Amino acid sequence: MSDATRSHKAKKFLERLPKKLSRQIVGSLVGCVHCGMCTQSCHYMLSNPEDPTFAPAHKADQLRKIFKRHIDWTGRVFPWWVSAKSVFTDSELEDLKDIAFGKCTNCRRCTFNCPMGVDFASANRTLRGLLVHVGVMPEGVAVVSKDQWEIGNQMGVLKEDYIETLEWMSDELSGELGDAGARIPIDVKNAAVVYSINPREVKYDPRSISDAAKIFWAARENWCMPSECWDMTNFGLFSGDDDLGGAAGRRLFEKVMELKGRKLVISECGHGYRSTRCEAQNWAGQSFPVDMESSVITMLRYIKEGRIKVDKAKNKESYTFHDSCNNARSCGLTEEPRELLNLVAPDFREMHPNRAENYCCTGGGGAMSMSEYTPRRLKSAKIKAEQLKATGATVVVTSCHNCVDGLSDLIKHYKLDMKVTQLVNLVAEALVIPAKVAAPAAGKVLALAGRTIMVVDDEPDALTFFSALLADHGARTIPVSDPNEVLKAARKEKPDLITLDISMPGKDGGEVLCELRKNPETEAIKVCVITGRPELRKLIYDRTVRPPEGYLDKPVDEAKLLTNVRKILELAHEDVPVES
Amino acid sequence: MTEKKIKDTTLRLVRGDIAAMEVDAFVFYARPDLQLGSGFGTAITQRGGPAVKKELEKLGPVATGSAVVTAAGEMKCKRIIHAVGPRFQEEDEERKLREVMRASLKKAEEGGVKTLAFPPMGTGFYGITLDLCRKVMLDELRRHLEGPTALREVSIVVKDSREQTPFEEAFKSL
Ligand code: SF4
Ligand code: SF4
Repeated sequence: MSDATRSHKAKKFLERLPKKLSRQIVGSLVGCVHCGMCTQSCHYMLSNPEDPTFAPAHKADQLRKIFKRHIDWTGRVFPWWVSAKSVFTDSELEDLKDIAFGKCTNCRRCTFNCPMGVDFASANRTLRGLLVHVGVMPEGVAVVSKDQWEIGNQMGVLKEDYIETLEWMSDELSGELGDAGARIPIDVKNAAVVYSINPREVKYDPRSISDAAKIFWAARENWCMPSECWDMTNFGLFSGDDDLGGAAGRRLFEKVMELKGRKLVISECGHGYRSTRCEAQNWAGQSFPVDMESSVITMLRYIKEGRIKVDKAKNKESYTFHDSCNNARSCGLTEEPRELLNLVAPDFREMHPNRAENYCCTGGGGAMSMSEYTPRRLKSAKIKAEQLKATGATVVVTSCHNCVDGLSDLIKHYKLDMKVTQLVNLVAEALVIPAKVAAPAAGKVLALAGRTIMVVDDEPDALTFFSALLADHGARTIPVSDPNEVLKAARKEKPDLITLDISMPGKDGGEVLCELRKNPETEAIKVCVITGRPELRKLIYDRTVRPPEGYLDKPVDEAKLLTNVRKILELAHEDVPVES
Repeated sequence: MTEKKIKDTTLRLVRGDIAAMEVDAFVFYARPDLQLGSGFGTAITQRGGPAVKKELEKLGPVATGSAVVTAAGEMKCKRIIHAVGPRFQEEDEERKLREVMRASLKKAEEGGVKTLAFPPMGTGFYGITLDLCRKVMLDELRRHLEGPTALREVSIVVKDSREQTPFEEAFKSL
């Protein structure tokens, strides 16, 4: 290969290289003495001890060789001596993609264990940025990045859907608390707190929004959520695209400034917190006078200041805490979440190792959006599964939405009997709220009255349970146990919603979803996927067809099922008692 | 809002959501296979309904530098011009960007479009720099609007201050 035959993409990659090398990255590329001390830090390596290509130093060498060949004097003078190597073809760029995106979650655990201060995770992020610059990236990374660039959030949530969800959560909340004033304020000027969230909360976990709203309400906080520019996550951290990172941060900061908000509170999300609090202003090349705080600290403050009262006995399980890599290793947010957890739950069991030494949930660095690497991700989670199991806890608490997904997938894969939750859920659960005036005993207007819901599940018990539960709340239910019959039945019955199991013999629920979406008679039908399997991520991130309107992890309880079904069907109220 | 009059047409710089505008047509920066994908493609799919995608299935793939027109389903605008521009540092970026601007304007004129909206073409995800984008867009728009045209209002719709500020500066020297 020669310079003359180098592909256009490889040329552009190399042209960009010197512009992306900060002093810290150069230090990491020249500093490695190949001592191997980082090898046992990496969860990929620990779960694949037979494969040296997962070793941090080996992965770093792939970028290091190019750096030596084109930047460092040693490689330009003695390329053979320092293993300098250039990049010539698109297929070599694809190989680099496999390492940068598929063999590292940028968790920074190896960084902490390197005596030479080599920060491979940052070098790997640089490599990702170089590849993204020339359009070489996993499909999921492209989908999410484009959504964040153009729609303004990572999951492509449109403004009308976001506002509708907030209003729906407000109706739920005021109904639950018996206070018409218990609502989510939107775009209030001069609020003490502007609350920003992860789009996953709007799309798949609205309860975390209503739980936060309940806490702000109980604390009598003067707070609001922005109508636009509300996403505090930042895919630029994962894709290595500093321009996206700067743009996403700038939008959020400028919105807070426009609202004259006194403090930006960032909901529980590791990469969102790190990006917004620590990195975005650097990427944007500008500083913004915005005071910021993690919601973990806000909740802790409310309890310490006596603004909310909690009864820890309400959280009855045994809990362990998973430190998100970004919170713990990059932001030092390790003690506050533990203090808060101990205030709202009586049975806390420490995980080992923990804090900055904790293992990655294996879903970090955007890994949840890259479905092509799912088998590798789950295999690398073996060490994490063992660590979780050793705690003996029934619930793992984490302050990161990404970790919730990563942990949920591995818990299912390794068949651990554990649930995942966040501090906001535990604090809301523990809140001591004056009892509501009891509603008069009477008949009920059922929440799902007039709706037709098709329940698809091959397990007879699940089919009966879901059908009976939805019917109890007024829905007409159509149980279907054979996945091959779904399309036909859906065309005939035209249900308002289909709850769809993913793992069924004969035909996968994902295939059923594609069939439904591709048929003009059924494409508009709303679908809630119910699954115990990580293949779901492919449906959410790859978007070969419109993603499901909702998803639920098995096991599903009554409250979870009803909340999600009502959200998807845009029904604001629970069963309402009426005078008989 | 910044605006300039070029002969009988008003050229505006607007901050907002291009996929929610009430215009005769807006330009969507498309891929050669015409798949809507994410980003503004998400908005077209969700607000427009399935009709747009169906129409596109018969039209793609198309070469970079060209444009095709579809109806807009249930969106507020009437039509969408799917303009396939250069992506991710591909060769001859500027020439292709000029071509796709011309192809979009040609399609707009053929359809008798009076109000038309453009995004900052190819910036953001596809990596065209704001500098190149504003230079090419304003050059091509001025050249086109100085000739015979049915267009009465052309908007460049930016999403944030990062896009707005460089375009505002460029409008001053129009
Ligand atoms: S610990 Fe540091 S110096 Fe040793 S191999 Fe790993 S990166 Fe290189
Ligand atoms: S950053 Fe994490 S995943 Fe990447 S090589 Fe280091 S330890 Fe492994």
